[in-house]
Amino acid sequence: MKDIPNEKFLLFKSCMVNVEYPGIESSTKYIFDKLGLDYIISPEQTCCTGLGHYSDVFDELSTTAIAARNFNLAKSLDHPNLVMLCSTCYAINKKSANILNNNDEVREKVNNIFIEAGLEDKCYNKGDTDSRENIFHVVEVLYNNRDKISDLCKYNLSDFRIATHHACHYCKVHYEDTVDGVRNPMLLDDLAEACGVDTVKWYDHKRLSCGNGFRQRFVNRDYSLEVTKEKLLSLKDENVDILLHMCPNCQIQYDRYQPVIEKQIGEKIGIYHLNVSQLIALSMGADPYTVAGIQTHSVKLEPILEKFKEIKEEGK
Amino acid sequence: MNTQKINENPLELAEVIIKNPRSSKDLGLLRCVQCGMCTSVCPAAKHSDYNPRDIIERVLEGDETIIKDETLWDCFYCYTCQSICPVGNSVCEVNQVLKQIAFDKDEVNDKLEPFANYGETYINQGTGSIPNNFIKDLARDFGPEWVNFKANLSSIRDELDLGPLNPPKKTVDEVDLILKYSGFQKRLKKIKNEEDDL
Repeated sequence: MKDIPNEKFLLFKSCMVNVEYPGIESSTKYIFDKLGLDYIISPEQTCCTGLGHYSDVFDELSTTAIAARNFNLAKSLDHPNLVMLCSTCYAINKKSANILNNNDEVREKVNNIFIEAGLEDKCYNKGDTDSRENIFHVVEVLYNNRDKISDLCKYNLSDFRIATHHACHYCKVHYEDTVDGVRNPMLLDDLAEACGVDTVKWYDHKRLSCGNGFRQRFVNRDYSLEVTKEKLLSLKDENVDILLHMCPNCQIQYDRYQPVIEKQIGEKIGIYHLNVSQLIALSMGADPYTVAGIQTHSVKLEPILEKFKEIKEEGK
Repeated sequence: MNTQKINENPLELAEVIIKNPRSSKDLGLLRCVQCGMCTSVCPAAKHSDYNPRDIIERVLEGDETIIKDETLWDCFYCYTCQSICPVGNSVCEVNQVLKQIAFDKDEVNDKLEPFANYGETYINQGTGSIPNNFIKDLARDFGPEWVNFKANLSSIRDELDLGPLNPPKKTVDEVDLILKYSGFQKRLKKIKNEEDDL
């Protein structure tokens, strides 16, 4: 398995976490604090260009230049390990680092942009940020600390039937760099297990995309929802209570559109959607509203909160 | 029916794609054996006329009309094709490069224009967001509760003890300059069909 550091993290803000599920960021901070991890957040970090990039509006050079500026920021703050809340930030930043390190022509162009813009101090040197050694998804850091997480859990969630949705842009873009492969990813399942839950390890369509498809959600809504529905119905067949997420885009697709799909098909699906950081924070006893931020969800989570069972000390 | 152009060097198109910076260094395009694994796992192939195997066949035949093929726009960019490919090809990346080529040849502005507002917001605020023109549709789908949450976003963020949504002016100014000299601002004007006075 690749080495995952436990310090000097720049926790990379995500545009969709910011405005849709801010509780993912606050839950991650809560867990990182409990684990005593060294991390910072910088207001000067800008977005990865995600939806702009994958709607084909952004060209590769512009996306790479934006990434180079963020890499420089992380280094200048002496926190060179970037850790992502969103799988698309993860995929784009890793690709940008690969381009900057392997493509001399693009690196030179990016540095010329900085020089022309009067930002010479931000020029990128080959190898400054390594895709494999410096860029991570939050889930990998949590996985690396799963034993400690297990010790910190105060609530037992074993009554729930949990399944996992491993984001495509984590598993499939840089598939050689994932912690446990692409065919049957178990990262989220192992983290749920650390919280005391036995998950539905495999289900039909486990590998299927959420259906967001970047442009598709916005300009081909019904087409996009066909894919989302396919996966939700296969989860319903498995009697799943909670679907665990690692990407805000997937979470929007399932949490916000599930009620839309239920209306379309005239059938209740009734699955709750949580990011893995929210689940872990709640298991550790975090406040559902001031830490996990569940008030921003479309599928209301109060019914599952009532079922959280406190773990008695002697049981640990 | 699609027409094929058989030219003297049918691999010219593939070579242009491989050299594009959006293609990964080890893109296995020329190693494609037409096994069709990509199509068998592709959600777009299941729900539309999109056919990843066929796209690569046409690229390797040098069929340049592929850049005008409407089905390219059905891809979900989920990279499932890439993750399963036995020879390290990525139809998903090839697709993205074909769209960049089409854009350079003025073929696809109407496909990009609905997302132009993403670029404008990025330049003005240094942050990405859902284009304004889609908010009405989302409000219809997500209902009044979501609209209400959006109105209260800053107080919820305060409750969660999170920092400011947008970067400071100094950062926005830097991003503005970077995107000016990268050519993005010029590109955005083209997407919006505006005259270029930069």
